[in-house]
Amino acid sequence: MNQTISKIRSFIFENFLFDADESALGNNDSFLEQGIIDSTGILELVDWLEETFTIKVLDEELIPENLDSVTKLADFIGKKSC
Amino acid sequence: MLVYDYLLQSANKYPEKPVVFHGNKSLTYHELSSLVRSQASWLISQKFDAGFRCGILTDDPFEYISAYFAIQLAGGIVVGLNTQTSERSLKTLLTDSRISVVFAQKKFHRYLAPFASQLPSLKLIVSDEEFSCNGATSIWMDRQVILKTDLQITDFPVVKPDDIAQIIYTSGTTGSPKGVMLRHANLVANTSSIITYLKLTENDKVMAVLPFFYSYGNSVLLTHIAVGGSLVVNQNFLYPNVILDEMLEREVTGFSGVPSTFALLLNRSAINKYHFPKLRYLTQAGAAMSPKLAGQLQKVFPEAEIFVMYGQTEASARLSYLPPEDLERKMGSIGRAIPGVTLKLLDRDGRSVADGETGEIVAVGDNIMAGYWERRPETDQVLREEGLWTGDLARRDHEGYFYIVSRKSDMIKSGSHRIAPKEIEEIIHEHEAVHEVAVLGVEDEILGETIKACVVLKPGVTCLPKELLLHCRRNLPAFKVPHRIVFFDELPKTATGKIIKRQLMADG
Repeated sequence: MNQTISKIRSFIFENFLFDADESALGNNDSFLEQGIIDSTGILELVDWLEETFTIKVLDEELIPENLDSVTKLADFIGKKSC
Repeated sequence: MLVYDYLLQSANKYPEKPVVFHGNKSLTYHELSSLVRSQASWLISQKFDAGFRCGILTDDPFEYISAYFAIQLAGGIVVGLNTQTSERSLKTLLTDSRISVVFAQKKFHRYLAPFASQLPSLKLIVSDEEFSCNGATSIWMDRQVILKTDLQITDFPVVKPDDIAQIIYTSGTTGSPKGVMLRHANLVANTSSIITYLKLTENDKVMAVLPFFYSYGNSVLLTHIAVGGSLVVNQNFLYPNVILDEMLEREVTGFSGVPSTFALLLNRSAINKYHFPKLRYLTQAGAAMSPKLAGQLQKVFPEAEIFVMYGQTEASARLSYLPPEDLERKMGSIGRAIPGVTLKLLDRDGRSVADGETGEIVAVGDNIMAGYWERRPETDQVLREEGLWTGDLARRDHEGYFYIVSRKSDMIKSGSHRIAPKEIEEIIHEHEAVHEVAVLGVEDEILGETIKACVVLKPGVTCLPKELLLHCRRNLPAFKVPHRIVFFDELPKTATGKIIKRQLMADG
């Protein structure tokens, strides 16, 4: 789980937060509320999830409950990988 | 008739009817007009000069809409500010428009704080939460105090139809944004025309996903308030399934989007599992509709009529529309002029071209802007004796339907944004490692176009794409940051030294 969280954080910082320091994103912070990711970004994120964790994200799974924070993403990956 | 009369009339007619839904909150017409009156009264009490500019920087629709009408009621000019912004972009716009007040949400304070006290024109930041600039809060006015104070002002300023109601900034081809000045009369003429051809009534409830600070979203706002209809607002298109759920739950009758909105809905949502019996119309502007997209939309929204529309910010929004019954017969067309507008096709010398030949679309109508804010030469270039020269090249068939052939400018259309390559090129060029750069749009299935930067580095200098992206990220709003940076040894040029962008596009 910790390793997944760390991978997700690296991806978010590398692609969306760039030079921001670690405190710029809490694991439970909403990407939507914080304005961290836009609609293009979410597509990049989903492509990255599918490639990195070899999972298939279904259309109906593209919802904030699965994708809208680091913790939610890690939980979602955990469930999909079972 | 003035723009704010729409709200006052609808509030008078349907006081208890919800006008805006957002999340789990809603506002009735009566509640909205009360918010408008208190904010307008406060603005009047500040004794700004007539036609003062007032910015709105918020993604909360209740705040945006109430400030919008309040500013106009107080005799001011609305400047809707893009919430996807950067300190640099914002400073440019506020300086250019010599803004007096900004209604700003807390989350955008960070962009304003570094320079707010340096702008001579900027007197106040209105916000629900304390705004601090270099430790001082003297520039902050608490919005909640404004809303609670009853100033009892009954003497509202006299506003005339020819007065400017709004300035909408668009990307200029030179790189710096231009403020399109729209009169009350322009917006009223366009609103009335759109209501007619969409047959909008007080029973309409639109899913508003487009930002109000752009002209398309602005027209969705005004038309629905004018008829006493309602808006279900969700301008975060991050999770399309959430939008679909809201459309169903609120029983919306209309949906307005750009090609990328529909591409996202069709390709990245569970839309096929939904059915919308109440949805009676869809509108698309920004480009003609491809046969593939039209077919897909008709399949998932069988009850809805599809309106393809064309326009420009300079025309308050709309210039033409293709009636739904002609969609199949005139595939690829942007239709004919909307009521109250005349469209001509002219050659460079202002002579009409024959049907089937290519000319520039020139528009005449009461919806055409007053000009660009404090930019006489640019205004004179497009507002000429013949009308508004749109820069769009088109042909017309024998039945009078227009087909866009190409655009004179190399503006990138990505999602709902129009982006001037020049502005991005200027930023990238500021990086010390860069010798030369060309920015262009590359076709994309979802976004329409993505941004590609082709860069030549200075001799002997090394630089990673990541470093240039970081530089862009610091200086540009997120939607203007290139999706891809590609390094070249040299850029292809014509004999006169002009970069051949078409060749760079072919390189993918």
